[in-house]
Amino acid sequence: MENISEVLTLFLSIDNFMAIAAGVLIGVVVGAIPGLTATMAVALALPFTFSMEPVTAILLLVGIYKGGMYGGSITAILIRTPGSPAAACTLLDGYPMAQQGQAKKALKTALYSSVVADLISNVALIFFAAYLAKIALNFGPPEYFWLICFSLTIIVSVSGNSAIKGLIAAGLGIIISTIGLDAVYGTQRLTFDNYNLMDRVSFIPLLIGLFAIPEVIDFYTSRVAPHIRTAVSGASLTWKEFKGSLKTVIRGSVIGVIIGAIPGTGATSAAFISYSEAKRTSPRKDNFGKGEVEGVAAAEAGNNGVAGATLIPLLSLGIPGDVITAIILGAFMIHGLTPGPVLFQENLPLVYALFCGILVSSFVLVFVGNAAIRYFSIIADIPKTILLPIVLMFCIYGAYAVNNSTFDIGLMLAFGVLGFLFNRTGVAAAPFLIGFILGPMFEDNLRRTLLISKGDPTIFFRGPIAWVFIMLTVASVAFAFRRYWIARREQA
Amino acid sequence: MELSDDQSTHTANDEYGRLNPNSLLGGLFFVVSLVFLFYVIPNYINLPPYMQHPLLSPRFLPQLAGWLVLILAFVLMVNGLLYPPKREEADELRQGVPVLRQVLMLAAGAIYAVFFEQFGAIGSGIFASVLLFMASGLKSAWIYVLAVLFPVVVSLLFIHVLNVPLPVGTLWEALLQF
Amino acid sequence: MIELFGLRLKRSVLGAVTAVSLACGGLAQAEEWPDDNIRLVVPYSAGGTTDLLSRKVADLLQRELSTVVVENRPGAGSTVATGQLARGGRGSDHMLLMASPGHTIGASLYPNLRYDPVADFAFIRNVINIPNVMVVPASSPYNTVAEFVEAAREQQLSFSSPGIGSSIHMSGELFKNLTKTQLVHVPFRGSGEALPALLAGDVDVAFENMPTVYPHIQSGKLKALAVTTPQESEFLPGVPTMQQAGAGYGLEDYETSAWFGLIAHKSFPESGLEKLELALEKIMSGDDFQNFLPQFGAVAGEEVGEDFRAMVKSELAKWSEVAEQANLKR
Repeated sequence: MENISEVLTLFLSIDNFMAIAAGVLIGVVVGAIPGLTATMAVALALPFTFSMEPVTAILLLVGIYKGGMYGGSITAILIRTPGSPAAACTLLDGYPMAQQGQAKKALKTALYSSVVADLISNVALIFFAAYLAKIALNFGPPEYFWLICFSLTIIVSVSGNSAIKGLIAAGLGIIISTIGLDAVYGTQRLTFDNYNLMDRVSFIPLLIGLFAIPEVIDFYTSRVAPHIRTAVSGASLTWKEFKGSLKTVIRGSVIGVIIGAIPGTGATSAAFISYSEAKRTSPRKDNFGKGEVEGVAAAEAGNNGVAGATLIPLLSLGIPGDVITAIILGAFMIHGLTPGPVLFQENLPLVYALFCGILVSSFVLVFVGNAAIRYFSIIADIPKTILLPIVLMFCIYGAYAVNNSTFDIGLMLAFGVLGFLFNRTGVAAAPFLIGFILGPMFEDNLRRTLLISKGDPTIFFRGPIAWVFIMLTVASVAFAFRRYWIARREQA
Repeated sequence: MELSDDQSTHTANDEYGRLNPNSLLGGLFFVVSLVFLFYVIPNYINLPPYMQHPLLSPRFLPQLAGWLVLILAFVLMVNGLLYPPKREEADELRQGVPVLRQVLMLAAGAIYAVFFEQFGAIGSGIFASVLLFMASGLKSAWIYVLAVLFPVVVSLLFIHVLNVPLPVGTLWEALLQF
Repeated sequence: MIELFGLRLKRSVLGAVTAVSLACGGLAQAEEWPDDNIRLVVPYSAGGTTDLLSRKVADLLQRELSTVVVENRPGAGSTVATGQLARGGRGSDHMLLMASPGHTIGASLYPNLRYDPVADFAFIRNVINIPNVMVVPASSPYNTVAEFVEAAREQQLSFSSPGIGSSIHMSGELFKNLTKTQLVHVPFRGSGEALPALLAGDVDVAFENMPTVYPHIQSGKLKALAVTTPQESEFLPGVPTMQQAGAGYGLEDYETSAWFGLIAHKSFPESGLEKLELALEKIMSGDDFQNFLPQFGAVAGEEVGEDFRAMVKSELAKWSEVAEQANLKR
């Protein structure tokens, strides 16, 4: 009883609620602006939290994190400009929906899937943290290796019309990802002695270039088409439709939670795995990629399911799983708190006050998200002749801001041209992105495994977790081939 | 329909010939990956003097990806030659686009890519937006006011609210010094 | 922009001048520096340790001087931003850079740098020092540095790092050189990824920053064998220094730590240097800074001006040699 009142005194303050609301709002807005990521927003907000109460400070940062996770989907759906990397998956079905005049439905689907996934993720954080943290600790390089192999099998399902072209794009993405200094030996790979390429190709310029810029180029290399109102005033999401996707949302959330609990994997993989799973099991699988509600739901659920779960290794082990949680770890330390088992022993009321705040943030997301949809969706009614130059400007500023480098602007435009050529030749851009993200992870973990085992390959089969992912990989590949043969036979 | 359904029922008129986008694309990727595998990798990926295991080589993943592209490009090329794909409706919209429209777009891109530092965020934003509005043949004056207003407001937002520095423009700085 | 903010600019100048004149206890010879916002360049991306510490320092510094804007300019192990600073140009009289071991390590790893990491800069002050700790998993059979070295001479053991060329990696390479052992380097991407492998015993040892491993030492999941500074750390009482524990194994001169200090372009205005030194002196003796340090297992940096330059110079010599021997020079 004493503890409960202590938790409540820590949690029930106007400051905390303001921090959550402000955080989610900042996150949604910044997340929606192409090039500005939640990571950046959290880093920029950090100095302002120095003088706050610890709970308030951390809730503000967590709020930004969660808002940013969702905010990225808004511009992905409306203008094919993913505000955050994970939103690249939302765009696969969200943007076609917007083009068909279903922007409002897509946005609402994204919002409610995000909120449900966020809630599930938070519940997992509160009740299963200790258990999931144990799994995370058993995830060594060999286990990661198989997880990445499994993730790579999703390329086929996001390849659009042609799996061959999709796999080629993935291969190209992997090649681009190897630019930079070699992670083990430090030798130069494909840098052509250019300093700007030594730290690998920056992710945000590649992301915006690949998806947003081709829309701009395409517009100016086509005749002016009459402005189609994307009708935000159009049909909204009905409960029945959302109920139809609920199973997908829950599955996506669970995928997100598991991926999120393992440090270093990330929301983008979770979104794509969830999407691919949904596509595999959906009765409307042929509609995926063409504007399918369930596709948007799956992507956003996977993406947001990660948010709460990344706090699991942070709070229970003191291990940050990504850059944002690393900054949040910094915020803890600045306030004299050390996440990890010690935190639970010494500051239990504080931990529970944080949990309360994190739960509240899910509900705040509903309100902020709805407001954001109302205001941002004005974008959908602006004629493209006016909208696209402004979008381009945002993209340019955003690409510059990532590293304060004009080289990144050039890089973004180059990837824009590549994305445009991909569009014109029917090559899907998503596999390129997946190859770019997963290629280095594949290589890193393969090499780490061989380094720690001194070259002994039996380490790849060392335990149950490895075997689970080996079997998932084999099953996933077998499944793709089975579908291919069935399709062939039907054709013949 | 998973692995290759670009080809489908044949009807003579809406099909490409042997020289269709797929066979060309396949051919292009084939050549590119050959160059990559046998020229770029040996010349631009240095090997360390000592490696614990052949799979640890910095060339391993690029080679793997290169071979993947090479083989699939070959499949795509053969596939394109055997089953020419159909023409798309969208191609219609891409015929007869005014040259000026495309040139103005390229100019706007060049301003951002090359002169961002010189013109600054605001300057290049204004120039490029004006060019792009002209490319769409917009005539009303208020639109051009927007082209000035937006870069100014957005840059100020980036710099002062979001605390993200953007370049002022070395050209203007040089002018101010005189 | 310059004209648009003329008004705001003047006010901040006034504010700064008053603040400084107060700080100098009425000495106030209304010097013109700083007559613009101060820019603090962080040569790494937002969110890292350098970024976090820089933002704290910026926050404290702007209470003493004018507004301090933090800019992240990551690239090629901090050498991109450092090269830009070295070139100077307009605005460099208000530009500071948070240098860290990457300043000297980067210079010893990257080819054809177009600057001299010692001669081309003004060295203001080393602000923060974070010791590294040699840690092994709790399940490890080794309890002392001596046991570890003996074992490492018999068999191949491995050490983790958050990435090639990081000070943590180089600390390991230095250890390897001095003890004549064949440790295998297993690089990760960031300490967040490296730590689980260490905790699970997949790698045998790490030379990590104190704040990263401190909670795990406390909870008993990691064993601290030694600290890498010449003095024991007050945060880890009873843990010997590497120089003591490794005596007889070639580690008598072993010393590494993560230092974070402010540098500027070599033609930085003299008055600015003086004001910065005074302001740093003041904030570093203040409660805010003193309370901040323990959170990172850190101690205040001591080297000012030319002492700082000398320290960087000796660091550079040390890392160049390590890079040479570990075949990391590219």
